[in-house]
Amino acid sequence: MSPDSAKTAMAGQPLAKDLSHLFIPAQRAHQKSPFKAVMGNPTLEMINMAGGMPSPSTFPLVQLQATVRTAGQDGTLSLERTQSSGTTESLDKLLQYNDGRGMDSYCRFLRRFTELAHRPQYADWDVIASCGNTDSIAKAVSLFCQQGDHIIVEQFSFPGALCSLKFANVKPVAVSMDSEGVVPEALDGLCSSWAGATPLRAMYLVPTGQNPTGATMSLERRQAVYAVAQKHDLVIIEDDPYYFLQFGPIPAGQGADATIDEIRQQPLVPSLLSLDTDGRVIRLDSFSKILAPNLRCGWITAPAYMQDRFQILNESTILQPSGLTQGVISRLLNDTWGIEGWNEHLCTLRTAYAARRNLFVKLVSKHLAGLATFTVPTSGMFLWMKIDLGPAAADPTAMPRLLDAMKKCGVMMAPGMPFSVGPVPGHFLRAAFALADTDMFEPALQRLALAIAAIRGSTPLDAPPAMCAEPIEPAAPARIAVNGST
Amino acid sequence: MPTKPHSQDFSGFFTEAARVRDNSPLKSLTKYMNADPTLVSLGAGLPHPDTYPFAQVGAAVAPAGKSIASCSSAELLDVSVTPAASNSIESLSKFLQYGNGRGVPSYSRFAQEHTERVHSPPYADWDVVVSLGNTDAFVKALMLFCDRGDTLIVDEWTYPAIIGTVVPMGIRMAPVRMDSQGMVPEALDQLCAEWSDSAHPLRMAYMIPTAQNPTGATMSLDRKHAIYAVAQRRGLVIIEDDPYYYLQFEAYRPRSEIGDLEERYANLPGISSLVPSLLSIDVDGRVIRLDSFSKVLAPGLRCGWVTAPKYITDKIQFHNETSIQQPAGVSQAIVSKLMNEQWGHDGWERHLVQIQREYAVRRDRFVDLCLQHLKGKVDFTIPDAGMFLWFRVLLNSDMQNKPGAMQEVFDSMIANHVLLVPGYMFSPQGASPEVRDKPYIRAAFSYASMDDFEVAITRLARALEPFTSQVA
Repeated sequence: MSPDSAKTAMAGQPLAKDLSHLFIPAQRAHQKSPFKAVMGNPTLEMINMAGGMPSPSTFPLVQLQATVRTAGQDGTLSLERTQSSGTTESLDKLLQYNDGRGMDSYCRFLRRFTELAHRPQYADWDVIASCGNTDSIAKAVSLFCQQGDHIIVEQFSFPGALCSLKFANVKPVAVSMDSEGVVPEALDGLCSSWAGATPLRAMYLVPTGQNPTGATMSLERRQAVYAVAQKHDLVIIEDDPYYFLQFGPIPAGQGADATIDEIRQQPLVPSLLSLDTDGRVIRLDSFSKILAPNLRCGWITAPAYMQDRFQILNESTILQPSGLTQGVISRLLNDTWGIEGWNEHLCTLRTAYAARRNLFVKLVSKHLAGLATFTVPTSGMFLWMKIDLGPAAADPTAMPRLLDAMKKCGVMMAPGMPFSVGPVPGHFLRAAFALADTDMFEPALQRLALAIAAIRGSTPLDAPPAMCAEPIEPAAPARIAVNGST
Repeated sequence: MPTKPHSQDFSGFFTEAARVRDNSPLKSLTKYMNADPTLVSLGAGLPHPDTYPFAQVGAAVAPAGKSIASCSSAELLDVSVTPAASNSIESLSKFLQYGNGRGVPSYSRFAQEHTERVHSPPYADWDVVVSLGNTDAFVKALMLFCDRGDTLIVDEWTYPAIIGTVVPMGIRMAPVRMDSQGMVPEALDQLCAEWSDSAHPLRMAYMIPTAQNPTGATMSLDRKHAIYAVAQRRGLVIIEDDPYYYLQFEAYRPRSEIGDLEERYANLPGISSLVPSLLSIDVDGRVIRLDSFSKVLAPGLRCGWVTAPKYITDKIQFHNETSIQQPAGVSQAIVSKLMNEQWGHDGWERHLVQIQREYAVRRDRFVDLCLQHLKGKVDFTIPDAGMFLWFRVLLNSDMQNKPGAMQEVFDSMIANHVLLVPGYMFSPQGASPEVRDKPYIRAAFSYASMDDFEVAITRLARALEPFTSQVA
């Protein structure tokens, strides 16, 4: 148990259950690298002729700096070569080989933040640095599933995860979803009647702002799913990159967008980690949607004995995320913004995403009534539409023809197929409302309506392209100010 | 100029996992998104760059070829990536947004240009794909051709991370004897000739041809030709793991023989006089070359690249897309800006010469001291490159046949406050008692300060004394 998690353990908190019987055999037999044990030898006066590490005198970087925007104002953070800056290590240390856990300053912030955000209910949890959730999914799955095994997933799921499973020859078993995500009774039934060659040991899900359905599990739903996982002794891989982009329901009567003050008051739905009394949740967090995607930085929260496995997996692959990135993030979060500034940044994002969601939902309701049904997302960036193709619904070519018609009309959304485990039960489109200019929401949905109408047959299928709205010249890009005001 | 031949097709040897690796269905939608500017795309789950709180990222970097110790702050280059794209590099938001498994184009392009300059691969359809460094690249290359139950050919002493990765995957290792130049071609050929597991034919060999970890051996060009010929004869794909490639210098000369120090280091190879790589003689397209910035810029950047036939780099791209995606945008941004706009290819070469000088100076001093203090205690081949010295401990007659002798040697080193790595940790044959007693230890002269060299070596001498001195 790391010193920091020892400090945060509350009196009387239980330790995680030992779930190592769920590891695949190769993981059960595991030993820490003897090489690393040698390298970790701590005698103070030791002269280290062992490490194949370059001397920092050969690193040509003397300083790293970044301009950071906070509430519309710019500030600078920097990292110096040989001295720590605030709590963050020196550039020489960040640029050197380090172990597979992540830089101390980076992990320390994330430990503190995870404690505040989730208050884990068992004592011996810890965090480890990751390169983002896609890599973490593959690593987490590899602890519990080997070739030929099965893993429970939501019936619609993140294609990156599904591809990863395919390449690892781990077979997804779909559990049905409703507007709140995984249906606990379906999960229970699936597990109870399982007759596969190897047992079900793990479940992968995206409980908040789910990709692709946009569904967010309520607290009750999470408790019910956790109870089923306990009953069937499953590990839960909680992939939660949209967790901190929660914004709650649409304002009553389609009123004004929530202000940042109102957003600040809104509690977040508790995570599965926060309900985890057994230590069966492996939580995957990422900076991709809350700082920037190509930082390639995130973290995993799990029981300490599982983190030892992740460390070994890291050390035989990525080692750890880029030291420059960890240094910049640590300097930003530890020293520039602190927990308060970080929470403020998250509230700013939530407010901006809420405004986009409000506008998008309003326009979907306006233009797609009778053509599509959807659940209002309360988190994240996805709106998942079930398309009613009317008389064409039974036609197996209807969906490809719809996509084609959409392209002709000048709009693109993701079709349901790449997300579906098994045949797609209907016609679905996933719209992402985070990136496109909000000025283009209405034209996009008008074009979609036309394309759907064409396929439904209310407009002739081979009508000339003039039937579609004239492509509208994009207006000067509208900036959605990150501080929430439009 | 005659066109180069197309690579041979080794995809028949792909594992099942390699076969099914394909373009992510969502990423393949992006071509529609970019094709038509009037098309409104709500297809990609990308956050808006306005939400990124970074307005600029930059580094102060030494001018090409100058060590940081020798330059003043006025000379430092400002390597800054801003919201505005330039002629040669993308905007900051492009470096920070999702991309694909090929990395940000300007970074990748530099790697490609550099590879052409240094290696000029002799087949037409070679390509580069980004990596997070050679350990991750190795796993991705390995998984194309080796699956549970298969065997990877390796040097008899090799990089511990390879051993630690391969074993849990259920992949075995077949070690091949080495000499002072690395893997012995006749031994490789013999291994293949005698291989009897027809269910798991040998397909892949892994080697570190320059300043090998741990032995420090560097293959001559003749040796590389001989190894390549065996690979051709036996149908092998080669992983050329080459992180020390640029750390080549000249043969050692004792300090006493060196007159002028400047003159001593006047002929460092740069990039024009390096021992040619296996990639540069790879007429078939059977070499997967792993390059890394770890030893030539800094390990913490976590970036490098892989060179191979395009049908192989495509597979690695797809694997990247279901794992790490690409190297950190901040690392790519700084490296790309530095290489493309400030150092350029010529500046990069000047930097490499300066790194070579640093390592040459270290090698010379370290070897001077070893020859002075360790005579009769160890045997070693003087390395022409890299950072490792591989000592064979000259155990006396009592210790030679004593089980556990090397553990005593190691304990003695610790007691004398000097840390080297026991040889058994580099053995693919695992840590059996027999392997543990092989009398080898590895020293690295890259990291300790040069002032500490003499202290370290005298401590080592003291530590070895009881085990190497002849019994009266």
